[in-house]
Amino acid sequence: MKGWIFLGAVVLVSTGWTAEQDEPQGSVVRVRAAIQPYDQFRPWQKKAPYGLNGTGVVLPGGRVLVTAALVANRTEVGLEKPGSAEKCAAEVEAIDFEANLAVLRPERAEFLKGFKGLTLGPALRAGDTAEVWQLERNGELLRSQAEILTVGVGRYPNDEAGFLQYGVRVSLPKRDDSYTLPLIRENQLVGMVMMYDRDSQEGTAIPGPMIDRFFQDAADGKYEGFPTLGVSWTPLRDPNLREEVKAPKSGGILVTRVNPRGTAGRAGLQEGDVILAVEGMKLDEDGNYRDPLYGPTAIGNLVRVRPTVGSKAKFLVSRGGKEMELTGTYDRRARDEVAIPTLSFDVQPSYLVVGGLVFQQLTGAYLQEWGDKWTERAPQRLVELFSFQQEKRPDPQKKVVFLSQVLPAAINLGYQHYSGLVLEKVNGKEIHSLAELAKVLDGLQEGNMIFEFMDDPGKLVLDAAEVKAKQEEIRKAYGIAELRRL
Amino acid sequence: MIWLLALAIGLPGCGKHAQLQEAKKNTVMVEVSSQVWDYRMPWNPGTVSSGRGAGFIVAGKKIITNAHVISGARNITVQREADPRRYPALVKYVAHDCDLAMLEVDDATFFKGTTHLDLGGIPELESVVSVYGFPIGGDRLSVTRGVVSRIDYNAYTHSGRESHLAIQIDAAINPGNSGGPVMQNDKVVGVAFQGFRGDVAQNVGYMIPTPVIRRFLRDVEDGRYDYYVDIAARWMPLENPAMRKYLGRPDDGRGVVVTDVFSEGSSDGHLQKGDVLLTIDGHPIESDGSVRLEGKPVQLEEIVERKFAGEVVVLEVWREGRAETVRVPLKPADMFSMYEVLYEPAPRYVLYGGLVFQPLTANLMAVLSGGADLRLKQKYTMFASDQLYKETPEPVILSAVLPDPSNVYLRGLAGQIVREINGKRIRTLQDVQPALAVNGGRTVIRFEGDARPAVLKREEVDRSTPRIMAQYGISEMSRTEVGQRRLAKGSLGGNEAK
Repeated sequence: MKGWIFLGAVVLVSTGWTAEQDEPQGSVVRVRAAIQPYDQFRPWQKKAPYGLNGTGVVLPGGRVLVTAALVANRTEVGLEKPGSAEKCAAEVEAIDFEANLAVLRPERAEFLKGFKGLTLGPALRAGDTAEVWQLERNGELLRSQAEILTVGVGRYPNDEAGFLQYGVRVSLPKRDDSYTLPLIRENQLVGMVMMYDRDSQEGTAIPGPMIDRFFQDAADGKYEGFPTLGVSWTPLRDPNLREEVKAPKSGGILVTRVNPRGTAGRAGLQEGDVILAVEGMKLDEDGNYRDPLYGPTAIGNLVRVRPTVGSKAKFLVSRGGKEMELTGTYDRRARDEVAIPTLSFDVQPSYLVVGGLVFQQLTGAYLQEWGDKWTERAPQRLVELFSFQQEKRPDPQKKVVFLSQVLPAAINLGYQHYSGLVLEKVNGKEIHSLAELAKVLDGLQEGNMIFEFMDDPGKLVLDAAEVKAKQEEIRKAYGIAELRRL
Repeated sequence: MIWLLALAIGLPGCGKHAQLQEAKKNTVMVEVSSQVWDYRMPWNPGTVSSGRGAGFIVAGKKIITNAHVISGARNITVQREADPRRYPALVKYVAHDCDLAMLEVDDATFFKGTTHLDLGGIPELESVVSVYGFPIGGDRLSVTRGVVSRIDYNAYTHSGRESHLAIQIDAAINPGNSGGPVMQNDKVVGVAFQGFRGDVAQNVGYMIPTPVIRRFLRDVEDGRYDYYVDIAARWMPLENPAMRKYLGRPDDGRGVVVTDVFSEGSSDGHLQKGDVLLTIDGHPIESDGSVRLEGKPVQLEEIVERKFAGEVVVLEVWREGRAETVRVPLKPADMFSMYEVLYEPAPRYVLYGGLVFQPLTANLMAVLSGGADLRLKQKYTMFASDQLYKETPEPVILSAVLPDPSNVYLRGLAGQIVREINGKRIRTLQDVQPALAVNGGRTVIRFEGDARPAVLKREEVDRSTPRIMAQYGISEMSRTEVGQRRLAKGSLGGNEAK
């Protein structure tokens, strides 16, 4: 237990909790994932594979809990018993990239025999302490004491709107190449560390109640995910603004945009409404409700974690100074029914190559491929359509098909430097998906293929018969197994 | 080859001495104190800095230098190699778009012992040129020699958006060389003006060739500088056989196709998308967009570049299966002027309750840079290509919120694009004050996108104004006059900037 000595010095506050000196072994396994992301710039191939390790928590039903980040874009996942070479392949049973959680099921159920699954412990509050468990190479358990600094709604790696999270202070030695690590208190699972900064020795953890909610959803074998409201809002502290929107004396937030397909939009909320309460919980001017457990907590937790998809929603709003109650049903449509998906892990990018012109359907993953500065580096039209899609592409059926690059060949002479062009029409027919494009092109055996784009140069033309004659030649020249994946 | 090269360097050997004498007599050191406007605080006169460049005397007792040497000048002195005195000089004309300026010196004694330098032509590739100037490292005239390495279109970085013919030489052009003559065979063949900074490249310098200098001299003959004209249309090479067939053009390697025509530009109403340009002023256009001029291939824009506002370019156009002759009267592309870095004109702004409104300019973007949000950045980058100027000729930005107790809740709104004030659509800065004057107890400012509106109480603004002016040392609450600035007109909405 050398970790203890090292840790004693950094833990500033101890609530006097003493760990039961149970044998905690048999509650965690090492998880090894082989990762191979899709190559968004060469959608017909994958990138070089690499491995990721993390510590998984064994759950009572013979399942293992990890962060979704650990197993995103995996080719395979294996479990490894601490201190032994025994391995077992595992399958992902449920995964949520927004909540950053995944449940693994070992292929051989008997692999976890003898393991004592950890049950979920109670929610923590700021000031509580817990332990972070890591596995040493030799299978020994390394337990580091952690202090919960904050409990609040914050950004998750793949969810900007945010969920409840714990801010933790803990000194973690680097043992694996990921910080997927369980947060344990009194031998119960109370959270999952997902991000950690070695310099500040602070990290964030997914709280137990998030994990609980994830389990409950996954239990019936049909994972639905966390609902979303589908509104943009702004705090209402400014008395001048309150007066302008005829808000009552105190409380409430101002709705600045409503997605008509979302939970709030279908319940009848409008731009300019002041949301005073949700589910009978009053909101203050900053959008916080008083959580019975955590105290003032951001609305995100109230509308995304407490309800489930399909449960009833109840809003108290003030519209033009008149209070009214609006009801609806929580769902995810504002997230899922979009022209350009934000998340696309584990999803093969679709593409279609015609006469060397490579068309793709726009996704957040494609834009992310441009790196941290994607908003500056990616083609600006694509950035605009993605970032302001509620204004620019509100109809989820109208996917964005674009010319991503040109594989140079004699047939596309003069077109070879074009890229990032959004396709609008082919031979006069509007194109709203790659499948539609394929259908239109397949119907053209001869004559012109006239591609019309949103931006300069506006029009590119190929000869259909010539395209047909050259497809195989181009495919071979560039070593592409398939010229389309729709 | 060796002999030829030796000849090229050796022949002017005797002339070289004469050239050096002439250069010594007519190259001047230009020392400038300049003031740079601060777009963060547009009411401030800005910071003063000083710099040094070079210039040379041309016929008519005029001095040619770079625009960037004298931009924002508050005081200019010139000094010759043979005369220790410094003479005050004034800017007669400045052309920021081609980085040239003309100076005048009142004191006739300055010109005693000077002659003037004559302009030559475009030097041959691989021929040797001499660069005269006052670069860092000393105070006396410096001479370096270089070989002409490339003659091509290049960005003129001073303007921020222009490209013209430039000549690359392998002599380094350092600060202080700027504005100095580059000579060959006793004649000026260019004005040294820019190089590469840092580790990007070595021994690369650029000079402004004589066609650009001559154009400047001719432009100012009428007593003012009128800017370059722009055809304001985009075209693409017509290399693809299927595209040629589609447009009904034989495979003769000629013509380019018009892909965009900019509203308010020269070609607006004259050219159309899909037009195939076959000849320009009688010069056949190759399918890559080049024409032959004096036996050398140049981009077809060079024909336009050499013309002046009000002149016409004649195009033979293939439109809907027929050849037509189209005459395009040329004018500057005022609608793109937002991308021009501004030097002399004072920044325009309107202040209201600590809220600073400024028109979107290259200068403002430069100070906002990383801090600008995506919506603003996109507005800026797509302003020309999406012809956004039709709707908003001059987007107005809430560029800053000067902290005051009256605006504590508004600080997060800095950087937003103003859409309307008190229900009035804002298309240029000139719209701001009339909209603010609309009577009512409250002023409501709405922005593009889903930002919250800013709401100010008139009485609070009235109370806070003197306080804010005192606190931030502001003497004027607005500066809106457009002056000589060229702005987009905007074809929608009818709010015209005067």
